[in-house]
Amino acid sequence: MLELKGVSKNYALKRVLDDVSLTFAPGLNLLVGPSGAGKTTLLRLLATAERPSKGSVTWKGGAGRRALRKTLGYAPQAVDLPDDLTAREFAMHMAALKGLKLEQADQQFQAITAAIGLHDDINRRIASFSGGMRRRLIFAQALLGEPELLALDEPTAELDSETAGKVTGLILERAKRSVVVMTTHLAEGLRPHAASMLRGEAGQVTPQALELSP
Amino acid sequence: MSPARVLASSLVNSLRRYQRRVSLWLLLIAAPIAARYMIPMGPDAEGVRIIIGRQLPEMTSGFLGVSLGIVVSTLLLPVAWLYLRANTTRRQPWQVEEVTAASRVAIALGRFAADAVVLLAMLVVLTLSGFFLGWLVIPSGGLNVAEITFSLWVVAAPALLGLAALRTFFDARPLMRGAWGDVVFLVLWMTSIVLPAVAMGAERTFATNMLDFTGFASPLLVGAPAGTDSFVIGGGEVTPGRVQLDVFAGLLSPGYLGSRLAWVGIAVGLAVLAGLLHAPHRARRKAALGGRFSRLFGRPPGRVVVNAPPARFSVAGPVGLVIAEMRLIGSGWAFPLLAVIAAGVSAVLPDFRHGGSAAGLLVLAFALSAHAGRSEARPFVSLTKLAVHEPMLRRAAFIVGGIIWSVLLGLPAILHHPALEVLTIASVTGAVAGLAAIGLSALTGSAVAARLVLLAAWYVYLSS
Repeated sequence: MLELKGVSKNYALKRVLDDVSLTFAPGLNLLVGPSGAGKTTLLRLLATAERPSKGSVTWKGGAGRRALRKTLGYAPQAVDLPDDLTAREFAMHMAALKGLKLEQADQQFQAITAAIGLHDDINRRIASFSGGMRRRLIFAQALLGEPELLALDEPTAELDSETAGKVTGLILERAKRSVVVMTTHLAEGLRPHAASMLRGEAGQVTPQALELSP
Repeated sequence: MSPARVLASSLVNSLRRYQRRVSLWLLLIAAPIAARYMIPMGPDAEGVRIIIGRQLPEMTSGFLGVSLGIVVSTLLLPVAWLYLRANTTRRQPWQVEEVTAASRVAIALGRFAADAVVLLAMLVVLTLSGFFLGWLVIPSGGLNVAEITFSLWVVAAPALLGLAALRTFFDARPLMRGAWGDVVFLVLWMTSIVLPAVAMGAERTFATNMLDFTGFASPLLVGAPAGTDSFVIGGGEVTPGRVQLDVFAGLLSPGYLGSRLAWVGIAVGLAVLAGLLHAPHRARRKAALGGRFSRLFGRPPGRVVVNAPPARFSVAGPVGLVIAEMRLIGSGWAFPLLAVIAAGVSAVLPDFRHGGSAAGLLVLAFALSAHAGRSEARPFVSLTKLAVHEPMLRRAAFIVGGIIWSVLLGLPAILHHPALEVLTIASVTGAVAGLAAIGLSALTGSAVAARLVLLAAWYVYLSS
């Protein structure tokens, strides 16, 4: 459904991705590898946050960026969250940008935050949130609507094991009907549930270095 | 995906953010306080004088409104710019916003509208305080609140909307999001003040009024007595007596109201353009570009000592802190190049005060504000509070570092000038610039206020 053809990405003189060709099918697709291997860059390319220096990223056989963005849920590692807003106000702003019906989005947001232990805090200003709460808020806004592609960058980082388990449960539930691409340093527990596992190596991410594992 | 809903969400949430910060209330009281001290309360009182020909105008409701408009559209524009750029809505969640399919035009218009509402709220407060000022300074029977309101809003509102639009546009373009945006704003602001004076003698048409973004030329020129074709804002010699100035002759003159409406249209158009030309944030690309220059000027990493011992406390203490601050002030890739140029200017030009010192101050305006903005960012301050050298000591070291850099940049001039004079000028400019940079950055948590104030101060320093 989501296909990369000969994708390279350069930052000035540094080539981060080199001629990568991959296909992501529905299910959980794990991106693993050491820090600096290009996992986040690959995820940003999938999420249309970056354009490839060479090659193409195609969705459903050729739909444009706008079509992909309409059905995308993206949770980067860090977001400049608006501290003066409450979590709920921020989520509803994101729902408006995604073109969702706000009443339904509000109900869905409450259900998601209840599932990940954030519901009691949704009417508090983000300024008072801890790192883990911010991470869960970024995750929750990505799930709003019914995204067919979920791009998640280390969604369980900074979370305690119990909360990480709740977040993982939601991810696995979504992976039954969506393409979920997720970077993680803790892949072992997820491996049995993964449709694919891709590995980058030592900063120089190349097609040869990316191995598809069952 | 309705653009109207995107616009409404951007507007409402931006307004919520403004409303929840104390800085909004500071902005709202800044204008009336400025007006109180800038409008002269009597013939000999202090304030910014507006002189028509060589006389002060008779104080009328219309003239008071125009005077307040001049205070806003000239002197308060940089304050409003600082507020918009350095404050509440400086941080936006672009990481997740830019990958949605939402209309960038709608987002830009929503944020422009929120900025406009805040600035116009300031104008409302100023209008109300104008009524009170009018009661104090206008001879009895002459107070007309409608005339004050009309003349103030016609002059100031388009300028404020233009400012909000410029902020929205600059936020959309990568180059303008940082220091260059503040430099360009400063140039545009000064140009907008000077341009009406350049066109002072020209016939007042729609075209000449369009040169007058700040909107005060026609009200001061058209209704002046015959033979008077100049005005001065700020001060100067005046002859006794009052001149009769009919500001409404200027406000209602052909082409004036049309030009003010045109400026409002341009402001809205600029906000739309901001949405159309919005370029996504590319933090890593910028860093990579800096990396290219760093390869040219920077040092390679040192040899790795595998079993490196733990670092011990430095016996130098505060001296080490000053050296560290100096390194960080001069850490940008462009700094060595600009420092060499500034030092070259001080070596070549005989007038150190207007040559080498001004060149050094310009370099330091960027370097000091950049480092002060970084080191006074809230998360960093909360970290450095726990360090052995507490923040106030670090700030003192920063100022000392600024003084030493200023002296170093002026060092070549010592060969040509009396050393004590150069040292004094360089030390004082370095100290004042350092104090302003760290003080403003500590107050606002960013580099914007410090940079803008230092650039304005540099211009005054150069031209005085």
